[in-house]
Amino acid sequence: MTVYETDVPGVGRKFELEVGGGARLVVLMHHDGRRELFHRADPDADSQRIADLDGETARQLGAILTGAYFQPVELDRTQVPLGEAILEWVELDEDSSVVGQTLSGCGVRNQTGVSVIAIQRGDETVPNPDPDETLAVGDILVVLGTRAEQQALREFVDR
Amino acid sequence: MASGLLLEAGLAIAVLAVAGTLAYRLGQSVIPAYIVVGLVVGPNAPTVGGVSFAVLQRHEFVDLLAELGVVLLLFFIGVEFSIDQLLANRDRLAVIGGIDLVVNAGVGVAIGLAFGFTPVEVAFVTGIVYISSSAVVTKSLIDLGWVADPEAEVVLGTLVVEDLAIAVYLAVLSALVLGGGGGAALSAVAIALGFIAVLVVLARVGTPVVQRILSVGSDELFVLTTLGAVALVGGLAVQLGVSEAVAAFFVGTAVSATDAVHRVETLLSPARDLFAAIFFLAIGFQTDLGSLSGTALTLLAVAVALTGVSKLVSGYWSGLRYGLSERRARRVGIALVARGEFSLVLAALALEVGTGALADVIPAFAVGYVLAMSVLGTVLMKAAPRLEKYLEADSTAPEGPADGA
Repeated sequence: MTVYETDVPGVGRKFELEVGGGARLVVLMHHDGRRELFHRADPDADSQRIADLDGETARQLGAILTGAYFQPVELDRTQVPLGEAILEWVELDEDSSVVGQTLSGCGVRNQTGVSVIAIQRGDETVPNPDPDETLAVGDILVVLGTRAEQQALREFVDR
Repeated sequence: MASGLLLEAGLAIAVLAVAGTLAYRLGQSVIPAYIVVGLVVGPNAPTVGGVSFAVLQRHEFVDLLAELGVVLLLFFIGVEFSIDQLLANRDRLAVIGGIDLVVNAGVGVAIGLAFGFTPVEVAFVTGIVYISSSAVVTKSLIDLGWVADPEAEVVLGTLVVEDLAIAVYLAVLSALVLGGGGGAALSAVAIALGFIAVLVVLARVGTPVVQRILSVGSDELFVLTTLGAVALVGGLAVQLGVSEAVAAFFVGTAVSATDAVHRVETLLSPARDLFAAIFFLAIGFQTDLGSLSGTALTLLAVAVALTGVSKLVSGYWSGLRYGLSERRARRVGIALVARGEFSLVLAALALEVGTGALADVIPAFAVGYVLAMSVLGTVLMKAAPRLEKYLEADSTAPEGPADGA
């Protein structure tokens, strides 16, 4: 996926995301913190304004989209009661047994009950990682689970 | 006496508020509204049925606040001006900025010569018709959503080049007219360029110092520090015979390299908007529409027709060179038609120093021209979708069967 980023002199910065079929989402970040969201159906079309958000609302929308605001966990399968779930950040060091395995291959969810909702890899964030995402040294797993499950996870990755 | 002044100030700001609200409701730029209200209630107000509408007088405080408005307008252009961005896109910007300059300034020079003006007067006419209005154009781009489309990149790129051209042009022109003629003018230009060279160097190497000065925690001190610096440097510039507006532009560029840019935009925009509104009002105060007759009126008609078309042509050409489709290229031209604040800065300069045509013809022409072009530009941009439908229907009807489209 390509993101086009350009300076808009006197206004702010513009980001364009290809969303398939020649259509683009355009995000305009104003210097004053306002964010406007546009949709351009094809390269020749005029952009249609979808939303005009203040900074706070834009951050909430962003959190929802990345899955950090509403936990994108299939609750019926994990059996995690939302009220007891907590978020933890767990770094993988080089002697962790899960390094080199895929998320589904190492069986982290079956063995511990936690959900990996994102992987922080250097400057890059992998939101909602695929089951076949391969884990690497230095990855920081963003995991959701109860305290007991989080404890199980720490033992699991340190094995 | 003081209470009388307060009443006048209150009246002035209140009529600006009413005019601005009306313009906003009509979907128009506020700039022509502020000028018109200055024309109809200022010292040159018309007398209808023996009753004069001249409720406001031109006090010193109006001139002072207007001058702060000019300084802040140019300061903000400097703050939003990025040398690095200009250099990074220099090939593309050189092409579109070059087309814009050659076509529009060329038409300006031709008009000035055709009217038999002196070289300095030709220079004024050229500047007035060449520079598009960043304020009017940028606001329309945002309001209509064009800012998200590729044509906005060409429009705003053109404005960036014009901003640089303003700084150089205004520095030389004001030194010429303020410094007198002959050898004095030459040394005045040398002083101006020297002062600006010092400011440019300070702006480039002084970034850490400016950064430290501007990192005060209190918003209040930040506003005072920035306004103080801008007004002080501007005032020093005037003492040296250099344009205060140009000095303010370069103070702005010094700020543009720091991370205080957003803070300036948040905290000082209200001050700029207030003082700039008073500047537009003062322009209305100083203009006698009665003098918009004879040469000035002919000049106005010729300039509106020729330079309206010249911006359409140069914008369209720039757009095509940038690789835009024909429709988007046409929009570049349409968006650049509006002229505004900078042409008025020149009108004010002409009024300040002028004799002959500079005092009588050019200021009245500039004000009439900005009124016409700011409204025309806004209206054209709004009508663009309908114009395009009309053009497409016109061009596809005969060719439809041939290309099967």
